[in-house]
Amino acid sequence: MTAIELRGVTKEFPGVTAVRDLDLTVEEGEVYGFLGPNGAGKSTTIDMVLDFVRPTEGTVTVLGRDATADSVEIRRRTGVLPDGFSVYNRLSGRKHVEFAIGSKEVDVAPEAVLERVGLLDDADRKAGDYSKGMRQRLALAMALVGEPDLLILDEPSSGLDPAGAKEMREIVRTEADRGATVFFSSHVLAQVEAVCDRVGILRAGELVAEDSVEGLRETVGGEETLEIAVGGADGDVEAALDAVRDLDGVTRVDRDGDTLVANCEPGAKTRIIGALEEAGVVVDDFRTREASLEDLFLAYTEGEAPDATTDTDGLAPTEADGSPEEVGR
Amino acid sequence: MSLVAVAEKDFHDTVRSRGMLILVALFSLLVAAFAYAVRPAGQGEQFATEVLLSFFVGPFLVTTLVPLVGVVVGYNAVSGERESGSLKLLLSLPHSRADVVFGKVAGRGAALALAVFVGFLLPAAVLIVAPVAFDAGAFLGYTVFAAVLGVVFVAIAVGCSAASRTQRRALIGGVGIYVLFVLLWGAITGQLLGAAEPLIDPLPASSAQVRAFLRVSNPTTGVETLTNAFLAEQLFAGDQVNRQISAASMLVFWTIAPPLAGLWKFDADDL
Repeated sequence: MTAIELRGVTKEFPGVTAVRDLDLTVEEGEVYGFLGPNGAGKSTTIDMVLDFVRPTEGTVTVLGRDATADSVEIRRRTGVLPDGFSVYNRLSGRKHVEFAIGSKEVDVAPEAVLERVGLLDDADRKAGDYSKGMRQRLALAMALVGEPDLLILDEPSSGLDPAGAKEMREIVRTEADRGATVFFSSHVLAQVEAVCDRVGILRAGELVAEDSVEGLRETVGGEETLEIAVGGADGDVEAALDAVRDLDGVTRVDRDGDTLVANCEPGAKTRIIGALEEAGVVVDDFRTREASLEDLFLAYTEGEAPDATTDTDGLAPTEADGSPEEVGR
Repeated sequence: MSLVAVAEKDFHDTVRSRGMLILVALFSLLVAAFAYAVRPAGQGEQFATEVLLSFFVGPFLVTTLVPLVGVVVGYNAVSGERESGSLKLLLSLPHSRADVVFGKVAGRGAALALAVFVGFLLPAAVLIVAPVAFDAGAFLGYTVFAAVLGVVFVAIAVGCSAASRTQRRALIGGVGIYVLFVLLWGAITGQLLGAAEPLIDPLPASSAQVRAFLRVSNPTTGVETLTNAFLAEQLFAGDQVNRQISAASMLVFWTIAPPLAGLWKFDADDL
């Protein structure tokens, strides 16, 4: 059985299509990272899975049931950490967890759950006095109540400090080891890279890539990122950049102050340096960074809309067009 | 049961609400002040609890303030959670939207009923101390009717809240409810009745009967009708029994229909 299955799902809001003809399958037991810049349609997709909004077209099936007709039954077996939620300011953390326990009709000690997310000491404080990170932990605690078969975490690391984000990843791991399916959205790839079995990248309401983390790594494996420190010759830099862009094996070049960042095949490095020196740009220093998924992610999410959609096997990152839009649109 | 969990959560949330506490404290003080002010001067004078309640406290305080508390408690029930985002937390748990709406009616209604009982404690103390014939049974019964009135207004306001996309609209709706039922019911239904005269003529009911029915259809008048009958020991008896049954049926109607109508809208909405 699949945990989440979307077939041909489109969601239109007045004046905007948030999700377009989306097919998505999350297998039972896997940790699926759902990536994309803000505004790509991740939250709308999750909202449809939870029946907060209903698709304009297509079907959403969760844990083998229809997302709208059987929503209560689905949520009985699902733990959710929503995005953009707020707590009940007047109620204590313990009351929140007790409410989740009563709602799911399970018999567990609130203390055990609060302990797991590190909130036991603050359990009797009003949740309205909690920090953003503590609220996030509280919602996670509510999601974990009753050992759900499916965990849906929408931007789970927002508001958490690095240590908190690490704990969050550890909890995701533990839940996955227990056998739960984890569906987890983020706009920061680094957060999902470490825990996900499979990653889907959503952009402007469409799935532009979907593969295992290893698969994505292989795709970017042939590329390296070259950071070049250049001094002085400002006037010629733009012309030099164009020359570098025209070289074979160079995917993209960006300028960040006195540093140029180029994505290229390993063999293209000397050609790049050569082209720069030829154009009169002084290369003070350079170093190569290992290719990261982040670069691929940016290529997918910043470039022009891809014409070819989802293809799990033949991943072909779209050409970056050199004028990236803001990620946090 | 899911509805009970929502009701319990909302009960705890509402009894901690400062707005409701302030209103109930104000109500309690006013009723107590009334009881003190209209106490008989002379020692031998007969002055019964019933008289105080049905002639002074009832028309001036209960039918105006209790609906206000009800609207305040109910108007933000669903729309407030929707706007703040706590509705996402609530609906992440296995609750149907129907459980949310009716759980809120139950939880907030219970919180308001409790507040009304507590609010009547201070006046009760004043009445016990004051030289009036204090009838504990009548007083307690009256409190129950006041609580019923509050619950009906909570239900109407929660229904309105469920149908409102924003807090602003819910607030406008809440004010509208109060103005309609507490201030302008007679005028509005009178206008309607005048306009609908040709429609009523062929019906087997006289215009006066329709007018009487419309009067008791207002929950405040309905509760007033029932409490006066209760204080006169004529509840569901005597020559007013039909009117009382109409009043009681309309109270049930107002408790169920507005939340249902609100749910109908809320259930179809994208959140």
